[in-house]
Amino acid sequence: MNLDSMKRLAPSFDSPAPACSIGGTILLVEDEPVTRASMAARLTRLGHRVLEAENGRAGLEVARRERPDLIIVDWMMPEMDGPTFCEAVRRDPLLKLSHILLMTAHDQPAQIAEGLARGADDFLSKAASKQEITARVLAGLRTSRLVRELETTGSQLESSMLLLQTKQTEMEADLQSAATFVRSVLPPAGNVVQGIELAWEYQPALTLGGDLFGVASIDAEHLGLYILDASGHGVAAALRSVSLMTFLRVENMLQLIGSYDPEKVLLEANRRFPLSDEGEYFTLWVGQLHLPTRSLSYASAGHHGVLLSSAERPSRWLTHPSSPLGFDPAAVFAGNRITLQPADRLFLMSDGIYEASSPTGEPWGRWRFQQAIETQKRSPLASTISHSFTEARRWQEQCDFFDDAAVVGLELTV
Amino acid sequence: MKIKERISPQGIILDLEGDLTYANQGVFKAAVEKAKQAGCRHLIVNMEQVRFVDSAGLGILVLVSQSFKRLQAQVSMLKPQSYVREIMSLANIPKMIPIYENEQDALIARAA
Repeated sequence: MNLDSMKRLAPSFDSPAPACSIGGTILLVEDEPVTRASMAARLTRLGHRVLEAENGRAGLEVARRERPDLIIVDWMMPEMDGPTFCEAVRRDPLLKLSHILLMTAHDQPAQIAEGLARGADDFLSKAASKQEITARVLAGLRTSRLVRELETTGSQLESSMLLLQTKQTEMEADLQSAATFVRSVLPPAGNVVQGIELAWEYQPALTLGGDLFGVASIDAEHLGLYILDASGHGVAAALRSVSLMTFLRVENMLQLIGSYDPEKVLLEANRRFPLSDEGEYFTLWVGQLHLPTRSLSYASAGHHGVLLSSAERPSRWLTHPSSPLGFDPAAVFAGNRITLQPADRLFLMSDGIYEASSPTGEPWGRWRFQQAIETQKRSPLASTISHSFTEARRWQEQCDFFDDAAVVGLELTV
Repeated sequence: MKIKERISPQGIILDLEGDLTYANQGVFKAAVEKAKQAGCRHLIVNMEQVRFVDSAGLGILVLVSQSFKRLQAQVSMLKPQSYVREIMSLANIPKMIPIYENEQDALIARAA
């Protein structure tokens, strides 16, 4: 390009800076010194800081060093022309969001399309009026600032996400630790006392469950057992459950009421665990087994999940209508007594197992649970329990339960 | 869960549709609070279209019943489905919240 033609084509920037001018840093990449100097002077007069480069390669270096708000680049240059410069900018991770005005003497649609395809954001015709040039520079700067703001916001969001992920990892580790603690206070499977085998399976809805159970010797002749179910689930339910579990410790009961009589245990629990302001409460089933006679006394506070399975007789539920803890301060919990037979099995379960819903929303139900136990009553205790979980999962067509699911089995082995 | 509110001279009827559970108890609580703010003396919870109530849903029903009793007001329940009715019965809920088979009986019961 010769000097004369450049002078003819050079845009005029003679007007003073408009009142709405927003000063920015502009990189001007132009090989023709006179045109470059003239444009730089005009941009400076408009209130911008102008950086200059005589070709695309030098322009890239300046851009990487200075991160200008806007780049104006000439199309035709030796070494690296404007479109090639645009492509290089788009490939550069640091510069790829730069706003580029490609300056050209031509304004043919095909040429404009090529420039846009190769990475330019807008065009500046060298024949453009000074008003148009000013407007395009200002529009370019506004866009560039918006992009920068988005970049900053994106980066802040990324930092926040990282922070959240770190916190979540910490919280999950805490929950896991709490879950390990809760599991550690559950009775170990195996022979709890001579002639009584215990097996259980427990899958909390979240890491930490709110449905707990206990089996412990009261004295040489009595075994105490219970299952409690906290309404709701999650951390709050688990904490409340641990509190009730602590209350139900044999030593505590002996100290408070002098025995592990199920009716008295429930009366005391009903007094101490009222319905919360959020409608949270417990259901609780308590039993006491006299080992020499196999006599089981039991009472329930709204807990419906205890099934007696006998080798020779049909299974039956050891539950009766009763108020959950805290529903009625004056509630009385009627006790019952039965004599178990050798090989009898007691299954204590949380509602999470039999309330497992099918994809259409139909609960599995206590009846289907009972069927699952009946069909496997000659299998080893742990297998029977495992079978009930398999069937519940098959029903709900998924592995995880929406509520805590627990099944505890006790078998009289002699 | 969807809840439609109907107002009659003898009380407010909440037609529930969906499950009353831990996950959606907020909707029910909000509807009850609105009825309470309106000075409702008899809240009738229509359970005909409720297929399932979990332990949290049960707790909310009892809590609502207790809070209405403190205001000398009443909560009644209408036509629970068989599974829900079984859950209610096992937890002795009908002793606290009377169950009716039709709306008219529920409305008359309070008026009487």
